[in-house]
Amino acid sequence: MSEPVIKGMKDIPSEHILGAGTALCAGCGALQALHEIYDVLGENTVFVNSAGCMTLMSVYPFTPFRGGWLYTAMASAPAGAQGVRDALDILLAKKRIAPEEDMQVAVLSGDGATYGMGLAAASCAIDRDLDFLYICYDNEGYGNTGNQTSAGTPHASRTATDTGAEGVPGYKKDLFGLWVANRPAYAATVIGAEPLDLARKVEKAKSIKGPKLILALSPCPVGWDYDPMETLEIGRLAVKTGIWPLKEFVDGKVVHTKTPHPRTPVEEYLKLQGRYAHLFSPKRNDALIDEIQSRVDAYWDAVGD
Amino acid sequence: MFRIRFHGRGGQGMKTASHILGSAFFHEGFEVQDAPRYGAERRGAPIFAYVRAARGAINERGIIRHPDLVIVADESLVPVPAAEVLANFAPHTTLLINSAESAETWRERLNLSSPIICLPLAEAGEQAELPYMGVACAAAAARLTGVIGRESLGDTVAEELGSLGEEVVAENLRRALAAFDAMADHEGCVAEGEERLAAPAEGPDWIEMPLDLGEQATPAIHAGATSVEVRTGLWRVMRPVVHEDHCNKCVWICGSLCPDSVISTGAGGYPEVDYDHCKGCMICVAACPRHAIEAVPEHGAAGETAATHEEASP
Repeated sequence: MSEPVIKGMKDIPSEHILGAGTALCAGCGALQALHEIYDVLGENTVFVNSAGCMTLMSVYPFTPFRGGWLYTAMASAPAGAQGVRDALDILLAKKRIAPEEDMQVAVLSGDGATYGMGLAAASCAIDRDLDFLYICYDNEGYGNTGNQTSAGTPHASRTATDTGAEGVPGYKKDLFGLWVANRPAYAATVIGAEPLDLARKVEKAKSIKGPKLILALSPCPVGWDYDPMETLEIGRLAVKTGIWPLKEFVDGKVVHTKTPHPRTPVEEYLKLQGRYAHLFSPKRNDALIDEIQSRVDAYWDAVGD
Repeated sequence: MFRIRFHGRGGQGMKTASHILGSAFFHEGFEVQDAPRYGAERRGAPIFAYVRAARGAINERGIIRHPDLVIVADESLVPVPAAEVLANFAPHTTLLINSAESAETWRERLNLSSPIICLPLAEAGEQAELPYMGVACAAAAARLTGVIGRESLGDTVAEELGSLGEEVVAENLRRALAAFDAMADHEGCVAEGEERLAAPAEGPDWIEMPLDLGEQATPAIHAGATSVEVRTGLWRVMRPVVHEDHCNKCVWICGSLCPDSVISTGAGGYPEVDYDHCKGCMICVAACPRHAIEAVPEHGAAGETAATHEEASP
C-alpha cells in the first residue's frame, strides 16, 4: 500500500473528470458518489456496467467517461470484469500495451444487481482473486424502473411493489457482511455526502490488488420521494443516525471510520423521505419506528460502541 | 373509441393524469385502459401515458398509434425527437398544449392543420414544475371529450388522490375544476376515432444480416466525455447563483458534492457553475457553509446565461 495523499478536504481532487450532460436525475446520490469515486480512480479505468440506473450514463454516442466502458446484463458484470482484466493482462504479456497504459477494472452495479442477481458472479470473482473494484450504488430499490423492492430495500419503507401500511416486510441484506465473509482484499461502505471519507477509501482500494468493494448508499430523490436538494442532508443523516455505518474491511478486520456520537434518532432521517411518510401520517406508527431504531442500536451495541 | 395520449416530463404526473381520466371514463360507464409507457422513470425524462375508452369491449392493446387527442403538459417537449409529441397526427387529432402562447402561434410553428387548444396551466408566480399539472391535464381532457360530467370528474379526483390527505385533494380539485371550466368552449370537440380492425397478420420482411466482426457490430465511442454535448441545463426550473461577497472560495465543498460535476473553480477562485449542464438540484445551495449560493427562479433569472440548446435525445 502506498502512502495516502488524501488527508483533508482540500486534498480531494478539484478536477472533476466525469463528463456532465448525463441523463441521471437531478440530485442523484449515486451520481454524486460515482463522480467522487471517479475523480480519485482517474481516467485509466474501465467500467463494466450492469443494467440499472447507470445504464443512462452512456447512451450512444454520448459517454461521460474518459476511459473504457462496457455494458453487461444485470447478473454478469463481475464476469465481464474478468474478461476485461484477462484481455488487459494478455495485452500486457504480449507487450501490445505498455505497463503505464494498463487500466483498472471497475464493476458498476446497482443494488438490484448486486444484492440479488449478480451476487453469485461477484462471489465467484472473489474466489478467483480477480483484481477488480466492485462499485455498488445502493439506492435501495430498482430505481430505474420505478423503485420496486430489491434485496437492498430497508424494512418498512414503501416501494412500488410494497404499498401497504407497513411497507416492505423484509430486511435489507447485509452485503458488506457477505463480502467480508468471502474474504476480499478490501471492502468499504461510503456515501457521497461524506466526500473525504469516500476519497480516502477509494484511494486505499486503488492501492490494493485483488477483489475490492466500494458500497455507496445513494439517496434517490425519485424513489425515496424527497426534494433533490435534500440529497445531502439525507446522506449526512444516514451517517449521523447510524443507519449507514461507514466502515472498511482491511487486513482481516472491520474498522468503523466514523462513529456517530451521540447518534441522532433515526426518526430525523426517516421523516425527510416520502417512502417512510406512512410511519408518521395519518397516524404515527411507533412500533415500526421503534423497531428501526432498536435495530440500529443493536448494531452499534454489537460493534462495542 | 377514444384514444388519448399524454406527453409530459417525469415528475409532472402524467401517469396519475391517465389514471384519473381513465377512472372518470369508467365512472361514466365506459370500458377503459390506462397505462404509462415503460421507460426511464427519472424526473424530467419524456413520459408517455395512454387512455383508451369505449362503450363496448376494447380489443386493442399496447401503445396508442392513432390518437384522437394528444395532451402536452410541457411545451419544451415538442422539439425533443425522443418525446414523439407529433407522432401520427391525423386531421381530426386534437392537440391540447399547456402553453401561454396562442393556438395560432403553435399552428404556425408546427405547420399543423389539426385543431390546437392552448391551456396555460401555470398560475401567477408559479414555476414550470407544477405539482398539479397532471390533474389539470386530465380534467381538461375530460371536458374535451364531452362525455365526462363535472361532478363525476370531481369524485374521481377525490377518489384517486384520497390517500394524499384532505388538503392535497382540495387543491387538486380546485385545479381540476378550473381546467375543466376553462375548456367550456371546446366541450365535446374531440370525437371518438373510428374502430380499427386488427391488421391481418403478415410475416416479417426478413433481412439477412451478414455476421459482422465485433468491432463493426458493436458501437464504440472513441472520444472521452462526449456527454457534454447534451445540454441538461434545460431541465432546470431554479438556478444556483453564487454571491461572491459571501463566498469563502471553498470550492472543494460545493464542487465535490455537485452530482453532475458542473461546479469548477472559476475566475478569482470562486465557484463557477456550468449553466449549460446544471440540472438545478440545488445540492450546492444546501452544501454551502456560508449560504453564499442562492436558488433563484430560472424564469427571468438575471444575466441570461441559460442553456440555449435543446437537449439531444438519446
